[in-house]
Amino acid sequence: MLVTLNIDGRVATLTINRPDARNAMSLDLLADFHKRLDELGAMYKANDKGEYEGSPPVVCVVTGAGKGFCAGMDLKQVLGIEGAAQKLLMQLGEVCHKLRMLPCVTVAAVNGAAIGGGCGIVTVCDLAVTYADNKMGFPEVDLGICPAVISAWLVRKIGAGPARKVLLTGGLLSGKQCHDLGIVTECVPTVADLPAAVDAVVKRLAGGSLNALAATKQLMNELDGSNDLAQARRAAELSARVLSSPDSQALLKARLG
Amino acid sequence: MSERGEVYTHEDGPVRLVIMNRPDRKNAMTPPMLEAMLAEIERCGREGKALVVAGHGDVFCAGFDMKMVHDDWRVLGALLRGLSAVIRAMRRMDSPVVVAAHGAAVAGGCALLGGGDMALTDQAAKLGYPVVKLGVSPAVNGASLANNMGFGRARERMLDPGLIDGREALRTGLVQVCCDIREDVIPTSVRWAKKMAGLEPTAWAATKRHLNEIEGSAADEQFEKSLAASMGLVGTKDQIERVAGLWAG
Repeated sequence: MLVTLNIDGRVATLTINRPDARNAMSLDLLADFHKRLDELGAMYKANDKGEYEGSPPVVCVVTGAGKGFCAGMDLKQVLGIEGAAQKLLMQLGEVCHKLRMLPCVTVAAVNGAAIGGGCGIVTVCDLAVTYADNKMGFPEVDLGICPAVISAWLVRKIGAGPARKVLLTGGLLSGKQCHDLGIVTECVPTVADLPAAVDAVVKRLAGGSLNALAATKQLMNELDGSNDLAQARRAAELSARVLSSPDSQALLKARLG
Repeated sequence: MSERGEVYTHEDGPVRLVIMNRPDRKNAMTPPMLEAMLAEIERCGREGKALVVAGHGDVFCAGFDMKMVHDDWRVLGALLRGLSAVIRAMRRMDSPVVVAAHGAAVAGGCALLGGGDMALTDQAAKLGYPVVKLGVSPAVNGASLANNMGFGRARERMLDPGLIDGREALRTGLVQVCCDIREDVIPTSVRWAKKMAGLEPTAWAATKRHLNEIEGSAADEQFEKSLAASMGLVGTKDQIERVAGLWAG
């Protein structure tokens, strides 16, 4: 499985599991991501008072297998294949939305490089923990790609001014810079410090009431526009249009081909 | 100085301090306390005075009096409605509002920060929303907190039940000033309130109203949505059991 789901009591863990490709998101991987999110989502059954039945996870950790978190979209796989890039972008857009709609609190344990769409997944999570010299960021414009799929999530998370600067100037960011910007919640000195920091966050959250956390999260989703799936789909279409332009295709082929 | 009930006031030139006064209970909020605060804040607004919201004793405010909620869970509804009304009145005042959050501003106490034009704390203070552990949603201040901190930071603060110190509160925009020691928080808040009160009042009020309009932060809809999200859980089995757990064993 290219994305795995593990449930341990009130804690779920989604692992992006393609370590030989730095967990780059291929069509197959995103299809798996959808399935795992559906499986997790199906565990939540609320009555009309918003009370959840049973004991579904209160917190979901999202992390990467191996040394990386996620290197972004696997564009090499879809280069030159008619309609494939569009499908990839639409799937990513819908995965981001589905991840946000989970009633539990999502925590990105950013255990290694999180680039482009990978950093987008971090941004969609409610909380995120990484280490100071990790490689993160949104270098899409450097590759001739319009990062529309994740731009709305970044604006919601860090505000329009900082998001504009990050997305329009490209390049990479360190974990420390991501912490300063508000893309991640907590930044530990080294990767060796990460597991303990993630454990501490998970322990704090797992003791919380799912009803209270979900009600709070739903309000924030409503206030910040997260619920807007149509907007997410329009963004994916825009990104796909730009990606299919001759200039973008030529630049990508030169970089990846 | 007014008679010292659960809330009292203190005049300092153009500034009126509205002070929570249950120091032996860390100024834990009761429905009458919130009613008295609302009345004082509205009077302050009518008289055009600058407002400093403060707490008497070691800390600013530890949030709702959960013992009262434990004894009668319906009190929680009154507390949530009272808190929402207080924050709304603070935001709608045409004169300056400063929150002097010394020592600790927890749960409902932390929510008061969202009503201020400025909030101050101290380095060692503890701030945040641990109430999700009691089955209570801090959503009641969701809109005002998001207006002050941005959506991302507000989401983090409300979903993570951990407390942060004053420096982290300053870094993340929960407060705008962090004093070295708690004893400086109220006097520094009064200085900031006086500074704002000394500015040309028509331009000042127009600027505040304009900012409120841009954010939608004084709009009824934002307060109603936020209040409704917290009210929806009042009296659920999970909430009653978790609150009861505080006094069990």
